[in-house]
Amino acid sequence: MPKEFVGPESDKLLGANLVPETLNGLLAGFAMAFTPEVMLYAFVGCVVGTLVGVLPGVGPLAGISLLLPVTFGLNPVSAIVLLAGIYYGAMYGGSTTSILMRIPGEAASVMTCIDGYAMTQKGRGGAALAVAAVGSFVAGTLSIVGLMLLAPPLAEFALRFGPPENFALLVLGLLVLAYMSSGSMTRSLAMAALGLLLGMVGMDTMTGLFRFEYGLSELGDGIGIVPVAVGLFGISEILISAGQSTRVDVRAPRLRELLPTRREWRASAGPIGRGTLLGFFIGIIPGPGHIISSFVSYSIERRLSKHPERFGKGAIEGVAGPESANNSATSGAFVPMLALGLPSGAVPAIMLAALMIHGIAPGPLLIQQQPQLFWAVIASMYVGNVVLLILNLPMVGLFVNILRVPYSYLYPSLLAFATLGVYAVNNSVVDLWIMGGAGLLGYVLRKLEFELAPIILGLVLAPMLELSFRQSLAMSAGNYTIFFTHPISAFMLSVALVLLLLGMRSTFTRAEGTRALASLEPSASQAQKGNP
Amino acid sequence: MLRILPAGFLILLSMAGGVAAQEAYPTRAVNLVSPYPPGGAADLTARPLAPAMERALKQPVVVVNRVGAGGAVGTQFVSTAPADGYTLMITVFSISTIPEADRVAGRKPRWNRDQFVPVARINADPTMLIVHPSTPWKSVKALVNDAKKRPNDIIFVSAGPFTVAHMAVEVFMQTAKIKMRHLPTTGGGPAMTALIGGHAFVSALSTGAVSPQAKAGKLRVLANSGYKRLAAFPDIPTLKELGYDMEVYLWTGIFARKEVPPAVVSKIRTAIGQAVKDSEFLKASAKMQMPPDYLDAPEFKTWWDKDSEMLARAIRNMPSPGK
Repeated sequence: MPKEFVGPESDKLLGANLVPETLNGLLAGFAMAFTPEVMLYAFVGCVVGTLVGVLPGVGPLAGISLLLPVTFGLNPVSAIVLLAGIYYGAMYGGSTTSILMRIPGEAASVMTCIDGYAMTQKGRGGAALAVAAVGSFVAGTLSIVGLMLLAPPLAEFALRFGPPENFALLVLGLLVLAYMSSGSMTRSLAMAALGLLLGMVGMDTMTGLFRFEYGLSELGDGIGIVPVAVGLFGISEILISAGQSTRVDVRAPRLRELLPTRREWRASAGPIGRGTLLGFFIGIIPGPGHIISSFVSYSIERRLSKHPERFGKGAIEGVAGPESANNSATSGAFVPMLALGLPSGAVPAIMLAALMIHGIAPGPLLIQQQPQLFWAVIASMYVGNVVLLILNLPMVGLFVNILRVPYSYLYPSLLAFATLGVYAVNNSVVDLWIMGGAGLLGYVLRKLEFELAPIILGLVLAPMLELSFRQSLAMSAGNYTIFFTHPISAFMLSVALVLLLLGMRSTFTRAEGTRALASLEPSASQAQKGNP
Repeated sequence: MLRILPAGFLILLSMAGGVAAQEAYPTRAVNLVSPYPPGGAADLTARPLAPAMERALKQPVVVVNRVGAGGAVGTQFVSTAPADGYTLMITVFSISTIPEADRVAGRKPRWNRDQFVPVARINADPTMLIVHPSTPWKSVKALVNDAKKRPNDIIFVSAGPFTVAHMAVEVFMQTAKIKMRHLPTTGGGPAMTALIGGHAFVSALSTGAVSPQAKAGKLRVLANSGYKRLAAFPDIPTLKELGYDMEVYLWTGIFARKEVPPAVVSKIRTAIGQAVKDSEFLKASAKMQMPPDYLDAPEFKTWWDKDSEMLARAIRNMPSPGK
């Protein structure tokens, strides 16, 4: 065993003849990826992933957990290719029900519900699905290039993110997301606070003691994101449309309306590019990157847009950005996993276990010792993304036809699917009650014109914020200066502070302007919001 | 989902079946409940063990993951399942530590150890005491001396409160009479990440996770927490031989409700006794670096009682949370 820290040297070795090595590796990888067996499992993984994504509630984590035992009998390359296919396939499929029925197929598709469903109501559901598929493809393919070329140095950089750095990043993220709402800031902050409070339920990760679980061990891991997301968005939509029997404004588009227009493509190009970059880097950092990246992408697109008021009413940028980001984040998540053998979240952790079952020790030497595995995975991801695009684009026409099914048949079956999906994840009846409760809550909140996405955001971020904050203080023995003595954390917190000050200034200056307007048109902003 | 639904259905069936026909046990599928998700130690042991048990019992053995709350959900589930021998549990030492942690926190324990009978221990791996390679500690003694000079200053990282990493370091600290600061994380992966990233300096993790990182020089191994040196690390001493009288293992064992008829338990014992010698099972265990360390019910009971008492004592002696 070497006595010295050899990390940097080994990286240099890898970087020295990067280009020829990459080409050789990639060619060998493709040779392997095109063998019938690996092709078959890549294909099966993509199909299962798409299904797992389409089914409301069942996300990549549940899909991979359930199929892990199946991979025991395969060779390691096929096993990992199959699981990887499920992971990124789920990101393609997750958008389908979000766009067509406002039911998030998995947690990373929550943001897609907002503008995707609004587009469906305008008859542009097909275009939204097509943009989601193409955006996912572009993001998926470009981020694999990033994974292939930059994995070792990026993974080393990600290692510098300890608890204080994570906390600073989350604070910065929250601040960016504060711009997410299209309506009143107070209202969306109230919803984010509600989500943060819900996120306090469950085991205290610092002490192992239970909080607010009222004797239900099932609440030990907290209130699940999936049942809340399906309830808030999907169930509430079913309840609301049940109360509007005369409204039939969701129409199935004609065939030639399926594809996005030239203007829609042009509007989507920027969001797809930014979503790809953003998703990749957020995916590298530990945490549920595919969920968070979709939120960040949405708020950035809204911030950059010349017409932010279109968001929430069917802006195609609001579909293109988040859908690209969540796909790109899955490749990002592979960076620390393949380069260092360290998981950046729950899904990569299971994939690492799958490798260990096959006697492959995932560690920093994985790429050197198992180059054929690394390159076969990379090559299969390129292939898989093409397969998914071919699989998903023609399905757009098929899926859109679901809208022709009358409500009286469609919604009861959706309810059944959502129930089944949410139950299957943990075999937990408690999750079903949470889904139902969240549905009712969502119904009431939507009637009161509150936005629902900030609740999910709060729920996702609360445990991470709390953990990284308390971990930092555990590291510093309660000394708060730790956030400023760590350079990365200090830098990000300063940026956050500057953003906050800038935001406050514009709020004040704008407030003066709008106050004058408000006296003339008291309910202009409310009337504009409308009922989605 | 396709795999879980039939499993759930089988549980329902077994509830309906009641205690009929003990003599002929097993007449239908046996559920092996793992309170941990696929990929954890309990699940990884259960997956190759189940088909091996199947060959001995001549009935399907289905692994069911009832996951949640650090093992509490699944253990509670088994504690209230029908006591007919068709619902068994494969779990780790959380069966002893969770109720003890409840007691220390002044809450009613969710279950008591005496609600279960130990059927067999399948494996018991020591943890590896590891430090970040940039630290000056080349031996356990150097670490202990430094920690004595600056109590509560060195940070150790665990996979979470009461996990094996936490318990192993805690028992070590109590044995060596030193104090270090605890950084809990949310799993073995995050703990390893924090150590390698240099956010913490000491930990105790499984051999499977440690060896690839050690080979790459990303961490330094000081000792193992078992009773003998490991073939994979012949130069690494045990804490015991260094004079720290302690043993902490990441073990997995099979349990049943104590009301299960003794005749049924003995059939399960026999089946597991055969399963741990099954060549397929041995092959899979070797690949995962989790060699079987089998104990039959009587020996396992003695050993489990001692292990639980040791862990409970360590939990009672811990500084209260938040300090």
